[in-house]
Amino acid sequence: MRIYVILLTFLMLVSAFVAPGRAEITAIKAGKILTISGEPITDGVILIEDGKITEIGTGIDIPEGAAVVDADKKVVMPGIVDASAPAPVRGDLNEQSNEITPTLRISDALDPQSKALKRIVQTGVTTLFVSPGRQNIIGGLGVVVKPTGKVPQHMVIKDEAALTIVMDMDPTQGNRIPRGQPPVNFYFRRPGTRMAIIWMLRKSFFDAQQQTDSEQIEDPNLAILSSVLKDEIPIHVNARRAIAIRATLKVADEYGLKLIFQECTEGYKVAEQLAERKIPVVLGPFYYYPGSMGQYREGRKVNWNNAGILAEAGVKVALSSGGQPGAIDILTAATFAVRHGMDSDEALKAITIIPAEILGVADRVGSLEKGKDADIVILSGDPLNVTTRVEKVILNGKTVYQ
Amino acid sequence: MKSRSHITFVSILLIVFIASSIGYAAPVRKKLAVQASRIITIAGKDIKNGVILIEDGTIKAVGADVEIPWDAFVIEAKNQVVMPGFVMAHTSSGLDRENENMPEVPFISTFDSIDPISTFFEDSLRDGIVAMLVLPGNNTLLGGTGTIVKPYGRTVEAMLIKRYTGLKISLRPSGNTSRMGHMQRFRRYMTELKDYLEDYQQRKTDAEEEKKPFDEEIDVTKQSMVDLLNKKLTAFIYCDRAADVPKAIEIQKTHGLNTVLVLSPDCYKAVGLIAKSKLPVVLDSQLIIWETNEQTNEEEMKVIPMIFHRAGVKFAFQTDASQYGRRYLWYQAATAVKYGMKRNEALKSITLYPAQFIGVDNRLGSIETGKEATMLFLTGDPLDAQSWVDRVMIAGEIVYERAKDERLKKLLEPPLEIQQPEDTD
Repeated sequence: MRIYVILLTFLMLVSAFVAPGRAEITAIKAGKILTISGEPITDGVILIEDGKITEIGTGIDIPEGAAVVDADKKVVMPGIVDASAPAPVRGDLNEQSNEITPTLRISDALDPQSKALKRIVQTGVTTLFVSPGRQNIIGGLGVVVKPTGKVPQHMVIKDEAALTIVMDMDPTQGNRIPRGQPPVNFYFRRPGTRMAIIWMLRKSFFDAQQQTDSEQIEDPNLAILSSVLKDEIPIHVNARRAIAIRATLKVADEYGLKLIFQECTEGYKVAEQLAERKIPVVLGPFYYYPGSMGQYREGRKVNWNNAGILAEAGVKVALSSGGQPGAIDILTAATFAVRHGMDSDEALKAITIIPAEILGVADRVGSLEKGKDADIVILSGDPLNVTTRVEKVILNGKTVYQ
Repeated sequence: MKSRSHITFVSILLIVFIASSIGYAAPVRKKLAVQASRIITIAGKDIKNGVILIEDGTIKAVGADVEIPWDAFVIEAKNQVVMPGFVMAHTSSGLDRENENMPEVPFISTFDSIDPISTFFEDSLRDGIVAMLVLPGNNTLLGGTGTIVKPYGRTVEAMLIKRYTGLKISLRPSGNTSRMGHMQRFRRYMTELKDYLEDYQQRKTDAEEEKKPFDEEIDVTKQSMVDLLNKKLTAFIYCDRAADVPKAIEIQKTHGLNTVLVLSPDCYKAVGLIAKSKLPVVLDSQLIIWETNEQTNEEEMKVIPMIFHRAGVKFAFQTDASQYGRRYLWYQAATAVKYGMKRNEALKSITLYPAQFIGVDNRLGSIETGKEATMLFLTGDPLDAQSWVDRVMIAGEIVYERAKDERLKKLLEPPLEIQQPEDTD
């Protein structure tokens, strides 16, 4: 009995000490704050409580007992949003059993201990969109996550964020029957031409449309596709060449689909059509394709100023790592986008608020505003400078990299 | 008769016209003066509002208070930064094929394989590289000799700066051989070479004793290896793993070779040994690698140039054409500066040091009196991503101008309006 009493008092004491700790306030004193949503603030203060920004601006009193992060000579910007990130999953990203797999969820395969995740945090990325791979025409549902938490559920900030569709020739790769051999493997049934890819996409949505009005859709694949048709889920389309982009636009017009283009290497050729339809694009990965300058895999010309031309035409442009683990970090991508002709404010938006808007999480991340998540990157200088380094990354109010 | 003289006259006129038009296309000026708002000399301190005097393609004077002679043609570079052209101490790009199939081919030369039309050279000039040592690839044990070229000219002969420089030795086993077999093959080659040289010397002394004429020349297939032993050539030893580094140092010591180490990123683990050997180093184009810390299970970023810089190793950067950033030497230097390298030292690693490693520092690598007038005109600071190479001067001649770079324009400007076909359905 006495032991219980002692234990109880001890517990009460502990909780008494812990409780004020929970409501702890962090204050960041910053030399320059790039809020993205408004004008930059010089010599400002950001107050953080419970992982949210409670106050931001100049002349804010720092409450007593607040943990102060001194960034007097530093530049502070919101955590970067990667709208096409390397997937922090175990195992393959491509389901080989079928080409149309809308019901697959990448959120089922998330691995919070992934190496890719730990690396990407150190480059200043605090929100990322992860999607299935590039081998299926309709790959499955992507998810918006934060690189934090010990269990996958804690990482997710928006599940079913988009349906991944691949309109490039990637789904046809390796699908031909080797000469002189019998078609023993079911992979060989997969599409072999661009025509077949477009046909399969069109057919899927046709089937879904037939059933949209019925009360209960039995096929789960069609259920997902019909909610896409109702504009509940946007489509994340992988397309590099203008021909693939135009083909997708045509199918989208037929069914009234809500699109987001990803990779979009030849987007500059169709900039006006994209602007007209208000379709956002997520560019990346960024490579100078080796060999001859300006050539890439599918043999067409690239334009270095793709991002600038698209933004100029009025398209919402986000820059991403393109899901390539070895690709350059997004800040460098933005720096080079500016070098090649993009406006520097646009470039900063293209790695923060615009991808957040595209992914539908702009109410939580993408800019430094009162009430938003405290995802903050502290830099040694101007973000669009090669010699600037990421010094500290704060995620949900906690320092995750220093 | 009359018509004949007429034809002669016309043809003479034509010849004169063509000759003069060629002359005008490339005006060769004897005396030049470059006026720049900032000169990064590399050799000394930066000069603000300085002048560089050039005569016959050679720098005659550099300074802030240099008087411009009345007969000098003035090249204005106001609001521009002038600095020496970048030098790359090792590359295998721009070759028809990098590697010979056989492992022991020290007698072949990249001179025979350089493809002047390769866009690699055009890109290099655009990116500010003015000299590079093109060596065979990393797949052959004794790969052949290298060639120093400038990325300008339509033939290899026109591009040539120095032929027969550097010999590639790769310690990465090729094909199915093991590292044991690879090293054994190297040792056997060296033993046979030394036996051959002894025999050769014996035959020579025998002939002298018998007072017979001796006209036997050294076997051509062995000549370059003999020159390597005589320090006429520098060995560029490629180490694929940290474990190859001690072997490279052993080879250098045993045979007393002039050596430059060409390192893969993994070799940073042997940085202590490399620092102790005091050998110059060419770093891989990949400057940052990630490793998992076994104890904390955290991912750690390894910045290769900083590891070597802290250990006091002198190194040069190289590029690769695939990735944003890595294709530029200035970006490589800027990456090192980002993680704490001194700016001056980083700039030397893309100019003076590589020039020293390949033995052209008497001509290139800095802006000094007596050196070749080879320099870049930049629109801003070299380590700033927003600066561009505006003009490149090689030996007093402007060989690249951004304003006339049609290919670059195509890569940055929106395409011409294409009429969209109307949808018929």
